[in-house]
Amino acid sequence: MTDAALAPPARGERLHPLYLVTGLGKVVKGAWGVLAGGAYLAVQDKLGLALLLFGGFVLLSTASLFIRWLTFEFRLEDDQLRIEQGLLNRSSRTIPFDRVTDVDIEQGPIHRIFGLARVKMETGASAAAKEADGQLDTIRLERAQEIRDYIRTRRSGATPSPTASIPETENIVPALFAMDSRRVALAGMFNFSLAVIAALFGVSQTMGDVIGFDPFSRGFWLEIFASTGPLRDYVLAHQFVAALGGTIVLVVIGVGTGMVRTVLREHGFRLDRTPTGFRRRRGLLTLTDVTIPERRIQATILATGPIKRAFGWHILKLQSLATDGKQGSHVVAPLATSEEAQEIQLSLSRPMAPAEGWRSLPFGHFMSGAAITLGAGIMALAAAALLSPLALFAVAGLGIATLVNWLEWRRSRYALDAEHLFIEQGWWRQRRAIVPVCRIQSLDLTENFWTRAFGFVRMQFGVAGGTMLSAFAIEALSRADAEALRERLVAQ
Amino acid sequence: MTPAAVPADLQPVEPGYRYSLMLQSAIFWLIPLIGALVLDRLVLADTWAAGLVPLIVAFFAFGAVVIGPVRIYRRLGYALDSRLLRVVRGWLFHVDTVVPFVRVQHIDVTRGPFDKLFGTATLVVHTAGTHNSVVTLPGLAPDRATAIRDSIRAEIRADSE
Repeated sequence: MTDAALAPPARGERLHPLYLVTGLGKVVKGAWGVLAGGAYLAVQDKLGLALLLFGGFVLLSTASLFIRWLTFEFRLEDDQLRIEQGLLNRSSRTIPFDRVTDVDIEQGPIHRIFGLARVKMETGASAAAKEADGQLDTIRLERAQEIRDYIRTRRSGATPSPTASIPETENIVPALFAMDSRRVALAGMFNFSLAVIAALFGVSQTMGDVIGFDPFSRGFWLEIFASTGPLRDYVLAHQFVAALGGTIVLVVIGVGTGMVRTVLREHGFRLDRTPTGFRRRRGLLTLTDVTIPERRIQATILATGPIKRAFGWHILKLQSLATDGKQGSHVVAPLATSEEAQEIQLSLSRPMAPAEGWRSLPFGHFMSGAAITLGAGIMALAAAALLSPLALFAVAGLGIATLVNWLEWRRSRYALDAEHLFIEQGWWRQRRAIVPVCRIQSLDLTENFWTRAFGFVRMQFGVAGGTMLSAFAIEALSRADAEALRERLVAQ
Repeated sequence: MTPAAVPADLQPVEPGYRYSLMLQSAIFWLIPLIGALVLDRLVLADTWAAGLVPLIVAFFAFGAVVIGPVRIYRRLGYALDSRLLRVVRGWLFHVDTVVPFVRVQHIDVTRGPFDKLFGTATLVVHTAGTHNSVVTLPGLAPDRATAIRDSIRAEIRADSE
């Protein structure tokens, strides 16, 4: 802006030469087609051709990496970062520091061996341009930290206080929230993936004969226990052992994958409160170091699942203008007691629960769901009488659906206090959202012929950040309540 | 800030918007209607269902072309005060949106071919929200649309100063 900008540093910086190594991972990921083709050729006894394909691919990708490294240049200027890249399509990107919401430092396994890091600038640009956000793939770790501190101090609005950028001494100050290995392992237990179990079950049932893995077949267990006499006889004698064993194997695999994924991601989880926001570090192989500026935090989400809730555990997320990879909101506590979650929320000087009482949803909301299940139930009863008694199962299912619907309705509630809106919903997966009123961008009251018949409207709130999936809405409230609530929200 | 409630005096949009909607849905329904006629002639001509499918499609098309636009137009309204824009729209699916000017990121006035044909314009207000971040108000007179845009812009500028 001033004379300093007129004389920017003349020379740009390159990425670290080891980018040729760290970049390979991404190349391999993108090359599964080539790998599959090569594998196919190798199986077809055309080894020479497969080697040629591989060789050509490796050569080409290394060359393209090298060219990318040669043509990539970044320059740290007075109030902006300039990135120039491309050989044929030369592009020059300027990122003003004022627009940088987060500077994330990430270290993959190879980065860590050589003391390198990847710097990601979150600019809050639209999701379409996400991939192309400012990213410096491989630079020295010290340089990455320098750049982050530089950007933080240069950003207007942020007061460069001396404590803002002393990463070394921060470890002495107790973390706001940290997870030891036991807690991480516990989080992994809760993270078992039903989807993985279901997928494995499907695979073993359809292709088990081909790949030789079907824990539900007796042959599988006979092979394993072939050497042990009594166990083998037991398996032979009892049909159910295979089913039981298969179930156990699948559950172990499901829990195991969840455990591995969680430990890889959350190992050494540590959340610090900095004067301007939060700083989160985690990861076993890939270390990430993410800052979440307080000014950018839009909403708080406290969620829990059916089993977690029984043990009093919660997950706390902050919805910020920037997104946390593909996750949308930033997880600031993967597994926390309600006291720990409350402490994090209070450090933002935002409340976790409303001072005034909760309001429940109108009964019509339950009725609107029950009407559908009741109608279907009558049809199923008719089918049971006329066609087949098997339709009684459908009746039972609809009964359960009604019960779940009722529980969901009973557990949903909302509240508005002086500055915050609280929305809680869900019985199976409970989720409480706390949105400061000043962060609500727009208000929608929606109704249709169906909800009108049951006398309620849906109120949806436009809140910045997050993903399209995480909507903030009060599912049902009476027209009069909705209008009163809207007037209170608008008046604030 | 005065606790002025949500403005309730909804103003209608241009009457020409009705015909614009009619023409749009007529063009939209032409394709299923032709499809139904072809299906009827080629496949169902000799069965008991002859003539049934086009009849059903024509029934819905009539509703969408003749009855729908009038109702949609009647229920489409907007209100402005010094702080916020309110857009109420929808017949079967009714949406009532309130956007404080303070939250507006940018504003478009668009005119598509139908708008030009019937002398209307569409005001599009963008907020920072991830959900319902785009609020559209169709069927405005072009002058009115630009006037609203300018007043919102003035509000935004006053806010940032």
